[in-house]
Amino acid sequence: MSDSPFVVIDGLHFSRGDKDIFRGVSLNIPRGKITAIMGPSGTGKTTLLKLIGGQLTPDAGRVEIDGQRVHALSRKVLFRLRRRMGMLFQSGALFSDLSVFENVAFPLRVHTDLPEAMVRDLVLMKLEAVGLRGARELMPSELSGGMTRRVALARALALDPELILYDEPFVGQDPISMGVLVQLIKRVNEALGLTAVVVSHDIKETLSIADYVYVIADGQVMAHGTPATLDVDQDPRVSQFVHGEADGPVPFHYPAPDFRHDMLGAGGSR
Amino acid sequence: MKRSKVMELGVGLFMLAGILGLVFLGLRVSGLTLGPSGDTFTLEANFSNIGGLKPRAKVTMAGVNVGRVSAIELDTDWYDARVVMELDGTLEDRLSRDTTAAILTSGLLGEQYIGLSVGGDPETLADGDSIRDTQSALVLEELIQQFVSNMVSD
Amino acid sequence: MIRHIAGLGRRGCELLEAMGRAGLFLAQSAVGVPSREGFYLWLRQMHFVGVLSLAIVMVSGLFIGMVLALQGYTILVDFGAEQALGQMVALSLLRELSPVVAALLFAGRAGSALTAEIGLMKATEQLSSMEMIGVDPLRRVVAPRLWAGFVALPLLTVGFSVVGIYGGYLVGVEWLGVFDGSYWGNMQSSVDFIGDVGNGMVKSLVFALVVTWIAVFQGYDLIPTSEGISRATTRTVVYSSLAVLGLDFVLTAVMFGGLS
Repeated sequence: MSDSPFVVIDGLHFSRGDKDIFRGVSLNIPRGKITAIMGPSGTGKTTLLKLIGGQLTPDAGRVEIDGQRVHALSRKVLFRLRRRMGMLFQSGALFSDLSVFENVAFPLRVHTDLPEAMVRDLVLMKLEAVGLRGARELMPSELSGGMTRRVALARALALDPELILYDEPFVGQDPISMGVLVQLIKRVNEALGLTAVVVSHDIKETLSIADYVYVIADGQVMAHGTPATLDVDQDPRVSQFVHGEADGPVPFHYPAPDFRHDMLGAGGSR
Repeated sequence: MKRSKVMELGVGLFMLAGILGLVFLGLRVSGLTLGPSGDTFTLEANFSNIGGLKPRAKVTMAGVNVGRVSAIELDTDWYDARVVMELDGTLEDRLSRDTTAAILTSGLLGEQYIGLSVGGDPETLADGDSIRDTQSALVLEELIQQFVSNMVSD
Repeated sequence: MIRHIAGLGRRGCELLEAMGRAGLFLAQSAVGVPSREGFYLWLRQMHFVGVLSLAIVMVSGLFIGMVLALQGYTILVDFGAEQALGQMVALSLLRELSPVVAALLFAGRAGSALTAEIGLMKATEQLSSMEMIGVDPLRRVVAPRLWAGFVALPLLTVGFSVVGIYGGYLVGVEWLGVFDGSYWGNMQSSVDFIGDVGNGMVKSLVFALVVTWIAVFQGYDLIPTSEGISRATTRTVVYSSLAVLGLDFVLTAVMFGGLS
């Protein structure tokens, strides 16, 4: 039981408009581990999380969470399944009309009938875990980016989920709050033993906490393995990405006609 | 969820004001009366031509409003118009049998209404009775036509 | 040529699809079991769309009533019929001006704000995160706003009429010297509660539904960028105004067109 992967994605196809985003992505997310999904910007990593959460419906393929096919569920069962998931959005997505305390209390209030005193204890516990117990009366507009994300993490953990999805947790953070978040994600996972999916393109930080890594490019899984095996991967595309080289098989230039032709042709023929 | 007493009070007052406004529109603007409005009796009158008389037009006596027209229909026995009026209940059995009903116009372009004037008969009209002596609306075109044909025949 | 016809067809399909989405959206959000929590959410929105719109609606109502009386008087006095001023003011307000003008003001004041608010919640992923927490944003965010708008606008319309009739009284009776007995008397004999006040309220209910529906749907359906929000806000005001004026014609034709 505990050996079977928590999330199974099989042959996933998804397109938005005329643009294919996924062309047959298959991956397994093991139970109780941190799995990183990496890839260059614009490869639909956030879309993948939304597909796992059932917010988007794929064109083909299936997503299974703990044996349940997400896209075959009724709205009601899907919402019940989501109580077992937490998601940390890129922007934090705190409810702007509620205070920090109420934001963290929100999942507890809507899904449980706990007495007020217990809600308070639980919220303070979660806020203490992210080090923001003192900020409980602030409104989201008064928080910095890093603090917003930590509050959002506390909220995502409020219901003690089994699966937690991180959407670009490190993007746009200064080195200090980035370090704080890296430690936090690692610690939370070790302490609670939950299954985590980290979507990111911050290679160094992600590789330092991930147990297993999938690299996605061109709508397909390009490579997968533990951080150590990826680091020595011989595939030029993988090594370009993992080592952060500017130009290589994944071109620096957006496809364009020949530069000299473009420059000279602009005045004459048009 | 934070509950602000000021906000609750505001919404409460807002809704109360709305309901009071509706009551104002009912009583003051459309003249509904809260009293027993069922205290009326009906009379009928046949007119050969009602002109522009409409349902809900007022019925007056000596200029005082005493009721309103409740229905107008074509009487297929005589092919004239039967007008049903609802009158103030206090007038029941008080109007003489030879009361006359005339269709009058308020001002030159005003709306048309029915004016009642009492006669001298000791017998009175009861609920559902009909007024015999009626005077139709003045139709301007007919008057002009009459006037012109009189001139020609002279 | 053929391309243009195909383009037209595509626009038609898109329009139909959007209308289908909007209908489903309305059905999913308006139907729900009322709860204590839902009541407080509704109350909060009532405060936002109702109480805070009161000032602009009342002031506009007063001015429109005063202008009606002034304009009406100058025309009616030529026919010696200035006694009919009260009737004119009341009927134009109750049947036509209150529902329409209040709905237009409501679309500008509350509708655009609803669109922008929901749009911003979508842009900052608050709606998505609510979904991921397992709370349906249609129930939690959209439904209270929809119901608040539906209740608030008819109440605002009543207020508009009352203030407008009072404004007409101020100008007609206090200033221009129409006899106040005939102002109210003529009004009372000509205004029918069901036929005029009631039909005006029916209009207002229809407008309330349409304006709020357009506003929340535009907010929910927009493209979550700053440009998308500004466009959707504009669309809310434009579509609501057109819908109100168009529906007003249809409703007037049905209610008063066949009046004998």
